[in-house]
Amino acid sequence: MVVTTARPAFRHNAGTDAPALIRIGDVSKTYVSASGAAVHALSLISLDIRQGEFVCVVGPSGCGKSTLLRLLAGLDAQSEGQLLLGGEPVVGPSRKVGVVFQAANLLPWMNVRENVRLPLRVGGVHAPADDRIDRLLAVTGLKDFGDKYPYELSGGMQQRAGICRALARDPEILLMDEPFGALDALTRERLNLELQRIWQENHKTIMLITHSISEAIFLADRVIVMSARPGRILADLDIAIPRPRTFDEIVLHPEYPKLAREIRGLLNAQENAHD
Amino acid sequence: MTEVTNIAAAPAQPVAAGSKSGRIRFGSPIAWIGLLVLIAAWIVAIQVFNIPAYILPKPEAVVRALWSGLAVSPTSPLGYYLPLWGTLSNAAIGFAIGVALGLVIGSLMAEVPAIERLVMPYAFALQSLPKVAIAPLVVIWFGFGDGSKIAISALLSFFPVLINSFTGLRAIEPERLDLMRSLSATRFETYRIVKLPNAAPFIFAGLDMAVVYALLGAIVAEFLGAQRGMGVVITQAQAVSDVAGVFAALVILGMLGIVLHAMVRWTEARVVHWGANRNK
Repeated sequence: MVVTTARPAFRHNAGTDAPALIRIGDVSKTYVSASGAAVHALSLISLDIRQGEFVCVVGPSGCGKSTLLRLLAGLDAQSEGQLLLGGEPVVGPSRKVGVVFQAANLLPWMNVRENVRLPLRVGGVHAPADDRIDRLLAVTGLKDFGDKYPYELSGGMQQRAGICRALARDPEILLMDEPFGALDALTRERLNLELQRIWQENHKTIMLITHSISEAIFLADRVIVMSARPGRILADLDIAIPRPRTFDEIVLHPEYPKLAREIRGLLNAQENAHD
Repeated sequence: MTEVTNIAAAPAQPVAAGSKSGRIRFGSPIAWIGLLVLIAAWIVAIQVFNIPAYILPKPEAVVRALWSGLAVSPTSPLGYYLPLWGTLSNAAIGFAIGVALGLVIGSLMAEVPAIERLVMPYAFALQSLPKVAIAPLVVIWFGFGDGSKIAISALLSFFPVLINSFTGLRAIEPERLDLMRSLSATRFETYRIVKLPNAAPFIFAGLDMAVVYALLGAIVAEFLGAQRGMGVVITQAQAVSDVAGVFAALVILGMLGIVLHAMVRWTEARVVHWGANRNK
């Protein structure tokens, strides 16, 4: 039973002295593109994310947001700096992390149940977990879709399954790479609401990358605004709007237009600098 | 309803001669009309140009030859059944060997760069060689018995499976590999759970070619010398200028080819069940 009103209004892990679960210290990333040119994707990124925090990262296209997520997921290695998860350096994919990919990334030859189950049968995790899968499917509104194949589902349903799969190992951290970018506005809002609910019920630490300012403000405790390449952190904004939030109410909150204007201003300045 | 660009959209299509578009439709009335027109033209041409039967037999002579080969006891030495069984069983064994080797070596090439560099040049050199030209050599090595038929069938069906499984295993979307890496999956888990199913449409395109090549290989080997098989039926009919008999055997082989192709397609539709809908 979760009583969401029992949650402190702003930062739910109010103790600001809580140690950072994710610690990014002066991380830079340079890679060599297919044409042989060196690309500076990230430049001296420093960021601490506390346990239970919901952080959204916004920035112009190609600013290295996804690169940052890939570093945290252990899929790529940073060129410089330090990445710590729970005090331990990231050396590869970690059991503590669940990744939600763009456009769901389900395997088309498996039904929803098998897709969600995948993390529990590979990588040395061989857990018989039918109960757990059932519960996850129920939480994400997929109870009756377990036997369906991805091509039988709408894009929104597919991404629900993608979130389910990322939660299968019960990771402490969810990394979400523009998970709702391909969805229509209404589906997106509905999934934003559900994600807020899942996060409040599961106490995960979430880092979500998005292009959408409204999505970032709606979901986040903190919005990180990144610059165009090489990606730097331009602003780290607290979103002091009480939860649970709804789309109807949040636009009426006095903070909302201020935040939206500030973020949009920062992003526009980036776009103009490049034009 | 929300529509999202399907993540399963394949970046590359299986390499096969007439894989999807070459599907045979038994029900199309135009195909049957075409057959009737062809037979009519055949009859007219024989009448008008006065073509002798040892060049082009009448359709009814071919039908008669077919009937005499089919309307007999399955064990009759005059019927098609024994030679058909001989050819088919050799082609099937050769097909199985060729497919197994093609799949294993194709997989090793796709997974281990060193093996790819080692095998690829020779695979392509052999691929561009007309492999039927090796048949006489194979007969020297394996003799006039079943061995040479199986060997040539295996050789011919090996290459399309090798090339297609290699290509298919390499055609994996990077996002799917990222998924498996993020789960710390082992290399074999990634191969079995993601790469192999992903390559299945390619592999089936290879099987589709291989099944016809296996039959071709068995027949060619029988031409070079054999005690039994459809190739023997053809060469014996040819020896006595029984052109209607040659035609009848060709009709049987043509039907067999269609049936084998249909069997591969049927199996593919059941194994790659997501395929028909993947680009919807």
